[in-house]
Amino acid sequence: MESVIDKLMYDDENKIHRYTRSIIIIGVSLGIFILIWWNLSLLLKNPAVPTPMAAWDALVYLFANGDAVSGIGMWGHMGISLERFFAGLILAMVVAVPFGLLLGYSKTLEQFSSPTLEVLRPIAPIAWAPIFIFTVGYTWGPILVVFVGIFFPVLLNTIFGVRKIDPNWMDAAKTLGASKLQIFTKVMLPSAVPYVMNGMKVGMGIGWMCIVASELYASYGGGVGYFISIQAQMGYWPNVYAGIIIIAILGILTTTLADYIHKAVTKRMGME
Amino acid sequence: MNSDIKINDLRKVFKTDDKETVALENFSLDIREGELISIVGPSGCGKTTLLRMIAGLLEPTSGEVIIGDKKCEGPGPDRGMVFQEFALFPWRSVRRNVEFGLEIADVPKDERRERAMRYIRAVGLEGFEDHRVHELSGGMKQRVALARAMVTKPDVLLMDEPFGSLDAQTRNIMQMELLRIIEKTNSTIVFVTHSVDEAVFLSDRVVILTKRPASIKEIVDINLPRPRDRASEEFIKLRKHILQQLEDENVKLRADGNVLLDTD
Repeated sequence: MESVIDKLMYDDENKIHRYTRSIIIIGVSLGIFILIWWNLSLLLKNPAVPTPMAAWDALVYLFANGDAVSGIGMWGHMGISLERFFAGLILAMVVAVPFGLLLGYSKTLEQFSSPTLEVLRPIAPIAWAPIFIFTVGYTWGPILVVFVGIFFPVLLNTIFGVRKIDPNWMDAAKTLGASKLQIFTKVMLPSAVPYVMNGMKVGMGIGWMCIVASELYASYGGGVGYFISIQAQMGYWPNVYAGIIIIAILGILTTTLADYIHKAVTKRMGME
Repeated sequence: MNSDIKINDLRKVFKTDDKETVALENFSLDIREGELISIVGPSGCGKTTLLRMIAGLLEPTSGEVIIGDKKCEGPGPDRGMVFQEFALFPWRSVRRNVEFGLEIADVPKDERRERAMRYIRAVGLEGFEDHRVHELSGGMKQRVALARAMVTKPDVLLMDEPFGSLDAQTRNIMQMELLRIIEKTNSTIVFVTHSVDEAVFLSDRVVILTKRPASIKEIVDINLPRPRDRASEEFIKLRKHILQQLEDENVKLRADGNVLLDTD
């Protein structure tokens, strides 16, 4: 009898116990959230606040039958958003990393650029959406908004990474005969990588918000944000919630991916 | 090639906005090729400053360091350095850390690998060449640092309290290992240490520095056969003498009232 009770007792050193515990906590947390939503919906009796069940039904229906208004399936909308997101991410990395390395390396260059950067940095990336969409169109406009969102965290973290470099590493490289260029490529560059990855992780979170916001604004050419926007205009509220659920799930997936890349690279570099 | 070191009237002044600190002055010393010299002195007296000037990492305010017949300007692979905090590159494996200097010198890949492995074996790390730095113990890290500094065959090896962060037992082992490794190379070594025991155990000569501004207080010849017996009468006598000299400097330092303000 006692052994059965012992087995049921929570044991922090037991892997299965730990997993079960966290799954239960997550389940209860989400369950309470859905209950609150449900109650609110019943209480408010507002069409813009449908029940969770209605949202779920809409989600299932949309995946099975596609979106009749835009004529694009849900996978299509997700594909378009993700494509823009990753295009913006790649563009931001390609520009921000070399720029950050340069500014981290040269104090003068950093002093020279910092007034401009400090003026631009606090501007919400979405504020650029009208200008970008007008100048470069519906495909590249949202990509540029994502670019702006990811650019700054990557830039600042890269600069920080170059500055934070252990001076002993530089000295060691110097005494081994390394030239300035060799110190840059063989010491500064690799030692900045974990910081660059951290910038990318932060940037990806912001970038995902940027893509949805700019698609909501642009309302053209597909994407999850665009989908939400037209569904709201038509008053198909459960569909709007289905779109929001998709955004949440894709958001979790992208941040998980960013987290994973960050951890894997940092570990690979031996700099946890 | 002749790799005697001549240090002529070296002086270093650190300037900040509101004051000047003389770290080292009137420092002249001749070190013979193949000699192992230890530098001991009160905390914060400028031992590391001296070593960094020989390494070329720090510009002397005046005076010069000549190796062979060449004046030292800036750091160079003729002077290898081992740091107290190891200063290994964590993103590189043991072997690739040791190869670093050879990479810089554009040594072809196969030769690089072969030479690095020779030194990894010499410091007793065979089998660990593909390990990451963070997987190693302190003693092992310092072995890697030693191999990295020696693989390019520098004329002079500068060691800045290399065993300072190791536990007493590892420290003794490393001292013996160092003597074993350098036996065949005839490298000139300048060794900065806090430990008088270590200085007497390792060195041909021990240079005692005064409190700041550092200059030479005394040079003690250690004419004991190796391996040295720490418990022997002569060893203890030399140790006692050096400790007494250092204590004199510490007394002066305390009289100045700034004993705890100095850090290395």
